[in-house]
Amino acid sequence: MSNNPTASPAEPVHAHEEVPRGTIKAYLEVAGVLTVLTILEIWAFYVPSLQPVLIPILLVLSGAKFALVVMFYMHLKYDHLAYTGIFGPLLALAGFIVIALMILIAYFMGSPPTA
Amino acid sequence: MAVAVPKEVVKARENYLTEGGLLSWLVTVDHKRIGVMYGLTSLAFMGLAGFEALAMRIQLAQPNNHFLSADLYNQFFTMHGTTMIFLVIMPLGLGFFGNIAMPLQIGARDVAFPRLNALSYWIFLFGALFMYSSFLFGGLPDAGWFGYANLTERFFTPGSREDFWAIGLLILGISSILGALNFFVTIVNMRAPGMTFMRMPIFVWNILVASVLVLVAFPPLTVGLVFLVMDRFLGTHFYSTVAGATPILWQHLFWLFGHPEVYILALPAFGIISEVIPCFSRKPLFGYAAMAYATALIGFISYGVWGHHMFATGMGPIADAAFALSTMAIAIPTGIKVYSWVATLWRGNFVWTTSFLYALAFVVQFTLGGLTGVMHAQPPIDLQQTGSYFIVAHFHYVLGGGSLFAFLAGLYYWWPKMTGRMMNEKLGRINFWLTCIGFNMTFFPMHFLGLGGMPRRIYTYGAGLHWDFWNMFCTIGAFVMATGILFLLIAMVESLTRGPEAPADPWDGRTLEWSIPSPPPVYNFAEIPHVHSKDAFWEMKYGNNPGHKVPEVAAEHEAGHVPHIHVPAPSMFPILLAAGLALCGIGAVAWLRITLVGLLIVYLAIVGIGFEYPTYGEHPSKERGDDIYPLDSRKVGMWTFIGSESLFFASLIGTYMAYKGRDLIGPTAKEILEIPLTSFSTFVLLMSSLLMVLALAGFERGDIKAGRNWLFATAGLGCIFLGGQAYEFNKFYHEGVTLQHNLFGQTFYTLVGFHGLHVLLGVIWLLTLAFASFKDMVPKKRALAVEFGGLYWHFVDIVWIVIFSLVYLMDKVTGA
Amino acid sequence: MKLKASLGCLRSAILAGLSAACLAGCEVFNGPLSTFIIRSDFARDSYRLFRYTFIWDCIILLTVLVPMVLALFWLTPRTGPQEQEHVEGTSWLEAAWTITPALILISMAIPTIRLTFQNQPPTPPPGALRVRVIGHQWWWEFQYPEYHLTTPDELHIPAGRTVYFDLESADVIHGFWAPQLGGKRDAIPGHVNHIVLTPEKPGEYYGECTQYCGLSHANMRFRVYVDTPENFAAWVKQQQSAPATAAGNDPKVEAGAAVFAAAPCVTCHTIEGVSKGYIGPNLSHIGSHQTLAGSILSNTPENMAKWIRNPEEVKPGAQMPALGLDPVQIDYLVAYLESLK
Ligand code: HEM
Ligand SMILES: [Cu+2]
Ligand SMILES: [Cu+2]
Repeated sequence: MSNNPTASPAEPVHAHEEVPRGTIKAYLEVAGVLTVLTILEIWAFYVPSLQPVLIPILLVLSGAKFALVVMFYMHLKYDHLAYTGIFGPLLALAGFIVIALMILIAYFMGSPPTA
Repeated sequence: MAVAVPKEVVKARENYLTEGGLLSWLVTVDHKRIGVMYGLTSLAFMGLAGFEALAMRIQLAQPNNHFLSADLYNQFFTMHGTTMIFLVIMPLGLGFFGNIAMPLQIGARDVAFPRLNALSYWIFLFGALFMYSSFLFGGLPDAGWFGYANLTERFFTPGSREDFWAIGLLILGISSILGALNFFVTIVNMRAPGMTFMRMPIFVWNILVASVLVLVAFPPLTVGLVFLVMDRFLGTHFYSTVAGATPILWQHLFWLFGHPEVYILALPAFGIISEVIPCFSRKPLFGYAAMAYATALIGFISYGVWGHHMFATGMGPIADAAFALSTMAIAIPTGIKVYSWVATLWRGNFVWTTSFLYALAFVVQFTLGGLTGVMHAQPPIDLQQTGSYFIVAHFHYVLGGGSLFAFLAGLYYWWPKMTGRMMNEKLGRINFWLTCIGFNMTFFPMHFLGLGGMPRRIYTYGAGLHWDFWNMFCTIGAFVMATGILFLLIAMVESLTRGPEAPADPWDGRTLEWSIPSPPPVYNFAEIPHVHSKDAFWEMKYGNNPGHKVPEVAAEHEAGHVPHIHVPAPSMFPILLAAGLALCGIGAVAWLRITLVGLLIVYLAIVGIGFEYPTYGEHPSKERGDDIYPLDSRKVGMWTFIGSESLFFASLIGTYMAYKGRDLIGPTAKEILEIPLTSFSTFVLLMSSLLMVLALAGFERGDIKAGRNWLFATAGLGCIFLGGQAYEFNKFYHEGVTLQHNLFGQTFYTLVGFHGLHVLLGVIWLLTLAFASFKDMVPKKRALAVEFGGLYWHFVDIVWIVIFSLVYLMDKVTGA
Repeated sequence: MKLKASLGCLRSAILAGLSAACLAGCEVFNGPLSTFIIRSDFARDSYRLFRYTFIWDCIILLTVLVPMVLALFWLTPRTGPQEQEHVEGTSWLEAAWTITPALILISMAIPTIRLTFQNQPPTPPPGALRVRVIGHQWWWEFQYPEYHLTTPDELHIPAGRTVYFDLESADVIHGFWAPQLGGKRDAIPGHVNHIVLTPEKPGEYYGECTQYCGLSHANMRFRVYVDTPENFAAWVKQQQSAPATAAGNDPKVEAGAAVFAAAPCVTCHTIEGVSKGYIGPNLSHIGSHQTLAGSILSNTPENMAKWIRNPEEVKPGAQMPALGLDPVQIDYLVAYLESLK
């Protein structure tokens, strides 16, 4: 057996996907947008008149933040599509689990006790 | 009987079985050796589970029998089920066949992560031994392989038996996830050039889908087990009604895992059958494309059918109907498979090997099991069958007559490749007929018993229930089957000691593994093959014109002018890491300090693996041929891991949301959560992600110093976040919300705590990288290492984005 | 000659053996727990759907087996041994075996869904008898809110009247199943499940727990007595009246009553007018029962004594302790309990 210390598992020499990544400027811009979205979320939380639509607002805003981080900071926007192909469906299943558990257990247990 | 006549035997220069001494097996990373170890281990556990089964059958042979006590019977049926599922069929299908055949079939020199592969095996072995060691501490687990809460709570099952079960399964789960991740990446990225997805051997398709299923099915189980362990050790009430929770949560988490698990057990079997039948019918697989799609479809649907195990729990007619429909839908792709096998047989030119016989028996028996499955899909019928021996018959037909028979077919099929010896067909015949007859004698009558009203998991039954005759009959059948399996052992030993040497291609095979010597050389392929069609080797041999001369198989290996091929060097870290993990488990049931030692060993072993090769990435990897693969395997692995982790958090979040607003006592989210503080932490974590990309950019530019500084800054922000969390927890604790206080307390601390744990791991990871960069271990070439740490860090960030909205900001909105 | 005779002998022996086996084999469907003996609307619906699916299953099995047998033993190979055949799949065939099963499944799904909803009405049917079923490790408790009655292990219901069961559990999950009366459902702590069925024919039916519930899961059986409406009314009346003991006539019974009152029995068991324990089964009318201890023993004085002497021996893990009474005390106690009709 070879005792060449460099014989390590599957490891590429040339980065296979030499694609241009985001620039520092883009990263800073994303950070700015993330900050603004977070402030919006917190603002929505404190505005009483938004209470009835708080859930959709929060879902949209946090979804946007999530997407920004994944696309820019985690480079999915720049990288090979395969990575998105792997992460996307698994993420969809994750959403499915949350919703399924909520619905099934809510139905099974009936309406929660009113405090 | 016509068995392919052995052609000339080609010997490999470096036979993987005989290289190195016995000790070298402990540090091996060769997928073939790991496969062999999986096989032997599973076989041993099959003996144990078989022994338990026989003891149970003796007990049930007569009414009111006293062969086993109630206690022992319950231990045996629990461990028989747990063993067969987790320690026999699953490791055989993925660990054994996946390792033995899959890399060879895709023309790879090894799996994507050889050391991870070894790690999976050792964790599997230690986890299994850990679970069985409960035998020494007051008995084996005894709450069933499904471990239904709230029976498993400490109040109803005191002692440490169930602790061993829960922690053992947690350890085994880690092994399964790592193994599946490895196979997934291997198949996605390391197929020989030209082998598109639609040219992959169908067995590989099945391993691929089964691996994905492991990745998506184990996280819910892990979460379920974590809750169970917390209930048992920390006094939480995830599954007991005391605090307003429901034991049904366990059933959802368990079957969310449990049903895909059924296909994790079945898919490798389908794959084997889809190789064996064409080979011995001397025809290509009928409807390859449909088979591939059916495999994927089965995997997909199997994630949405778990409720069919719960028709008796009163989920309500809407959920019942939905699960009934999704379950019935799965019959369609399954039917496609069965009919395609039959069509493959149509006008075939058969070679009646033992392997082929097992495959034929599989088709019939699996179909029977599938057809009773259609009955269980229909709640009105199922309510008369669930929990009865009809179910026992059903799943033994799919798992025993199905998976196990397919594995025996596969064992006879790949044995010559694996060992370099032929098996004796006469012994094979005896083995097959006894096993097949015994199997059907044992399990067919169980249909009758079930319809006759016999419940499962009973250690005894009264006289006069009209069950006596068939129970005795089943017991006799079980012994016939056991005798059959004994002949398998005899045949294996006979082959190893006296069997004729196997040629490279004894069956005139269709796939690439038959193009290399038996047993294969350490490096598998002297030259990575190029693939132009499916059934790649067949095409090489015969091309498109019949009667074409068979090329000299594997001549290149013999000639001695094998190019210098780097194979992965052995490593002692996998076994070390696994031992550390086992220590963690032992510590949990014995003395918590041992766990700390275990964790330390785990950490050191991980660092060891990470930096085992200091000049990592500097040699011309052309020699190993890695540059031919399209993606970076580690990055594929990282993303797969992140995806799987998402499901882990989804199960935690789902539980939080499902229990939200059901507390019997306050204070809950509404009264206690502090938005200003958390808003600040959120901002800190978001900004840390920015610093992380800056760090990565630094390393990628080669500006190590800048990169390192940004890394430290990122870790620093992580620490601030953790500090905020510590402050918050402490404050809640003093306001009376302890972990055990109410539903909010337990779900909140668990979810947010697990996230915090991930942040902590992330900080350790980043600091390790930063310190390593002082020693020049993270040069520009290895910027990828930073990228992986970064991906993990960002993942922790996006999980927090979700938690911040769902847990903190939505606290005004109560109720699910 | 001799050979022929012995062969004939052998043949008749085999035939006799086979038919005996058949008889013995079919017996399994005539047992007291057989799902093929149908005594309620629920069981009938289940059975009909089962039969429908079963017939299709047989047909589908044939569509697999017949071509398989033909291919294996009948047809000659189409091509020479080495020839790569180019049958990659025939699209009409593949379409056929995708669409046909789908249609068959739809024909099963429709009655399935109809019955699934029918079996779980959102509210109890009007006029239904409500029975509360509470699973305990390892016995069953039946309560009739309408009649203010509680009885362990032996359920009485009138034929022809719809029964609406409320299933609950006092500890872990249990499964309630009386096969001849129809579908099982789990009794889950913190939750109320329901079964609706109308028993059709008076008789004695067996039931059992079908969800693994711990050590003595196997010993958690019960009986259902479907009575004629008149008998049911009489039974209710008898149960509602204070237990008719022979106390006063039989000194043994009287001594037994004293033992009962003095022993720890009273902390767990209720006897109407005597004690108010609620952990164990209500014993007010235990003398009128056919069975004991989760219906695993028939109700005889010997069995009763055996149980009291050491419950653990009869039912491993039993929640009732051995009370260390001496044989004489047990003798009295048995006489007393058996007198509680
Ligand atoms: C010699 C062959 C076998 C015999 C005689 C046998 C016998 C039994 C018996 C008697 C039970 C207990 C049933 C009960 O009390 O409810 C059982 C349960 C079970 N068996 Fe087997 N079995 C055999 C092979 C297998 C195989 C190959 C598998 C494959 C995975 C398997 C998986 C299981 C499972 C999952 C359970 C359920 C355990 C539970 O209810 O928790 N068995 N078997
Ligand atoms: Cu399932
Ligand atoms: Cu039970």
